Amino acid sequence: MANFFNKLLYHDGRGWWDLPRTQWQDPNPEMEGPFGDGIIPIKKAWDFLTAASYHHGTPLFYVVVGVILSIITIVEVWAFNWLFLGGLLIPLMLVLSLGKFVLVVGFFMHLKFDRKYYAWIFTACMVVGIALFVALLLLLEFGHQVQQ
Amino acid sequence: MAASATYEVKNEYGEVINTSTGLSNKKLLMWAFLGSDVMFFGSFIATFLVYRNRSLVGPYPADVLDIPITSVSTFVLLMSSLAMVLALSYIQQGRQKLGTFWIFSVVVLGAIFLLFQVYEFNHFVHLGLTPRTNLFGTTFFILTGLHGAHVTLGVLWLMFLGFGSLKGTLRADNAIDLELAGLYWHFVDIVWIVIFTVIYLISARDVAPPGSPPFVGH
Amino acid sequence: MRLPRIFPRPTSEHGIWSWVSTVDHKRIGTLYAVTSFLWFLVGGVEALLMRLQLSQADSTLIDPETFNQLFTMHGTTMVFLVVMPLSAAFFNWLVPLQIGARDVAFPRLNALSYWIFLFGSLFLNFSWVVGDAPNGGWFGYAPNSHVAYNPTDGMTYWVIGLNILGVASIAAGLNFIVTILNMRAPGMTLTKMPVFTWMTFVTSVLIVLALPVLTVALIQLQVDRLYGTNFYNSAAGGDPVLWQHVFWLFGHPEVYILILPAMGIVSEILPVFSRKPLFGYSFLVFAGVAIGFMGWFVWSHHMFTVGLGPAANSAFAISTMAIAIPTGVKIFNWLGTMWGGSIRFSTAMLFAISFIAMFTIGGLSGVMHASVPTDAQQQDTYFVVAHFHYVLFGGAIMAIFGGIYFWWPKATGYMLSEGWGKANWLIMLIGFNLQFAPQHWLGLDGMPRRVFTYAENMGWENTNMYASAGGFLMALGVLLFIINVFYSARKRVPAGDDPWDGRTLEWTMSSPPPHYNFATIPVVEHRDDFWFKKYPETIAEYYHDDHAGELTAPSGAQFDDDVDMAEDEHAEAHASDHHGDDDHGHGDIHLPDMSYYPFILALGLTIVGAGLMTIIPVIIIGTIVLLWGLIGWSMEPVNDPAPDGAAHGH
Ligand code: HEM
Ligand SMILES: [Cu+2]
Repeated sequence: MANFFNKLLYHDGRGWWDLPRTQWQDPNPEMEGPFGDGIIPIKKAWDFLTAASYHHGTPLFYVVVGVILSIITIVEVWAFNWLFLGGLLIPLMLVLSLGKFVLVVGFFMHLKFDRKYYAWIFTACMVVGIALFVALLLLLEFGHQVQQ
Repeated sequence: MAASATYEVKNEYGEVINTSTGLSNKKLLMWAFLGSDVMFFGSFIATFLVYRNRSLVGPYPADVLDIPITSVSTFVLLMSSLAMVLALSYIQQGRQKLGTFWIFSVVVLGAIFLLFQVYEFNHFVHLGLTPRTNLFGTTFFILTGLHGAHVTLGVLWLMFLGFGSLKGTLRADNAIDLELAGLYWHFVDIVWIVIFTVIYLISARDVAPPGSPPFVGH
Repeated sequence: MRLPRIFPRPTSEHGIWSWVSTVDHKRIGTLYAVTSFLWFLVGGVEALLMRLQLSQADSTLIDPETFNQLFTMHGTTMVFLVVMPLSAAFFNWLVPLQIGARDVAFPRLNALSYWIFLFGSLFLNFSWVVGDAPNGGWFGYAPNSHVAYNPTDGMTYWVIGLNILGVASIAAGLNFIVTILNMRAPGMTLTKMPVFTWMTFVTSVLIVLALPVLTVALIQLQVDRLYGTNFYNSAAGGDPVLWQHVFWLFGHPEVYILILPAMGIVSEILPVFSRKPLFGYSFLVFAGVAIGFMGWFVWSHHMFTVGLGPAANSAFAISTMAIAIPTGVKIFNWLGTMWGGSIRFSTAMLFAISFIAMFTIGGLSGVMHASVPTDAQQQDTYFVVAHFHYVLFGGAIMAIFGGIYFWWPKATGYMLSEGWGKANWLIMLIGFNLQFAPQHWLGLDGMPRRVFTYAENMGWENTNMYASAGGFLMALGVLLFIINVFYSARKRVPAGDDPWDGRTLEWTMSSPPPHYNFATIPVVEHRDDFWFKKYPETIAEYYHDDHAGELTAPSGAQFDDDVDMAEDEHAEAHASDHHGDDDHGHGDIHLPDMSYYPFILALGLTIVGAGLMTIIPVIIIGTIVLLWGLIGWSMEPVNDPAPDGAAHGH
């Protein structure tokens, strides 16, 4: 059963949608997955950026992430005035900030590079938390309000 | 027999970790704590959202919130996160001076963020919004105030580490201490990312809910 | 880098200061046990006073205000100062022993948890001294707990006290998560862990995630009460229903925090006295995890009569009924464990068996009020009181007493008297049922809970009289236990290492265990490792497959794949590795040195908490103490360098 899940979720134990892994886990990664060898140049760039220390990124890489974060923030503030989006504005903001969130958690907090255990812990807490609070919001929005 | 064989797992600092998972105790503790803090801030953010548009009197968000100023302080906090990760990277590589420089940059940026917050709080009080005024004031001040308290704690902690790095007690081989502080700091940053979105970007146009008087100022 | 020391680092092993500065998990466990047992007596007295008042109709023995204080403090005490810390006492004593470690992952943090708990509990009960005990119920419903309706300081004590206690619980929870994940002996994969350790793990996760929610609710109420904010101020649009949601969002996981350790204890006792391995280990563990997860999504069953609307009510009714499934699974596991075993009816076993019976009754009444229309009749009546006492006293406390009888010989080195023990068990069981079974009837007849008296013509006098008599019988049972403790302490029948023919690692060492626990860290090959090492011939009998005698975990270990190379084959004696190297004392055994800072830090925290009742100078003093503890702690090495290689601390 667990094997079945491994097969389903991972390609022979390797997530093929994963970004290429770092040298720490995978000194000589084989190219597999949907893009085959086509991904090699990207991978080379990636390795260059993340090769600095044991399993973290290079300073340059972090600066790039920082720039992306700033750009997203600028877009957010700019998009704040796109009133024509109407009801789409909120989802847009949520998606943008989710992007920032993932970048910080994945790269600055090294979850992408680190042992998966940490990612599991944090993700599990996030999932429980979000599920709970969404349920709570729904309850208070559609719950006793209606009865009044 | 396999179980008695010695198998060494090294962590990123090259020290042998013989915990059953191969993970550092401290780092595991920190991540578990952050998971716990997710619930803490989650509850407050949920409270904010529950009470969104439920204030009976003004000022309402649209009367006080100022996106440009807050985006600057948001930017400052984001950059402090960048500085933090650079500090860790340099300390890990043994480039002590650069590392120290970046640690103190985090401290400075964090302090600037706090100054922005102090300014913002003062300004709001000036405009007539206090924690007692209405539900928006209550939820806004307590949530951002507790976030500010987290930032303050992080600034103090990093100052402590910064001096350690100056004196040479924080080095590549015990950079795990800095990494922990870093995790905390980044977490505080992502909480702000959410707060900025929820309170500012999403709610900043909220005016008086139907049935409540608009805010005319004092 | 070192701060000047005001106190020299403690080294003495005896006397009061050795307890104040101890970081030994066994001593901390003892501290937890003794303290919470004292609170158990306090909470019991509160209960008896209420029973006295209720034994007659229209009684005026206790005025309504005091009655409110009594039931509030009784509930709060029993939940936060008794069952939780008593469980923590078991965590502390047993988890390192069961996983083959020399201490928890963070011994000083562990001491900190205890001291915060002690000071927090003292602070909470200090409210009795000033005469304003909390009076808003253990659930503190807003707006009744708001200043407008509750102007005395009681609920402020409650809010701050619980917040302090929350810090202790969270710190302990984090500590045990790391300990259980990281400190297991070689070969002890997750699927070989004793069930008690598993339940500790699930409980710790629940604590770490649920207590922050309570903290938030309390902070909100606290700023409302102290600084006039509007979270629950209905005049400003605040929503009391939000309080109920947030409180029960914490509250339901909390009831599993209370019961899961008890389930773990019972799962250790039953196999030993049935001389059979636990029936369906994986099921039992999985059910525990499932309960821990599902327990998050049932909270609104405490709010069925609020009027959440049919959709919400049905959803929560379904999830509540669904959670009874893993609970039922466990009950059948326990029955299956006893089935066909050669059962010895020791006191511990008797307690464990009555746990199963009483808990089942409580579970059944739980499923009854999981049904919305039924609950409309039962909510806020004595039926609910009967329910939660069947699960909490009949469940948690029975199991804890069983655990005390079971592990007492290990902890002290001598046996508790079985004769007194059985009397203790019998009286307590009878008293318990006499007190709480009639409350089902009372509740269905409409007797409301949390009301200080009832009218004469309701026809409730006799039943209440029985209940009160039962209450005093229970008190007698507890008294018998105390007598037993003193009696056995006089007698001192030596226990030996393994008095019960135990199955898990804690029985491999001497009783009481040496302070370093294991001279050499054991290598674990099986579940119930000790048993199969004692009786290797039984291995084939219980592992009917090719796995017999093999080291690989049979199943279920896959989710661990990220780590199992580290897990199965790492070096021995890992427990000591994070203390740096040294070579004094017992070979490579080294334990962290004692420290005062946890005590100081906890003291500072509590003073700050007390100062929050708007006494600024106290806050300042508290902050200074707090910083002293914090800075001293962070600059104090875990171990002082040994002077000239001389052994110290052991
Ligand atoms: C089969 C599992 C269980 C079910 C289906 C269940 C269901 C319920 C329901 C529906 C209520 C609300 C009753 C009302 O107020 O009208 C309730 C109350 C309560 N339950 Fe349970 N329960 C279960 C197990 C437990 C366990 C294991 C514990 C604790 C160890 C527990 C402790 C409590 C407490 C303390 C209350 C009362 C809270 C209060 O109002 O003060 N329950 N239970
Ligand atoms: Cu419940």
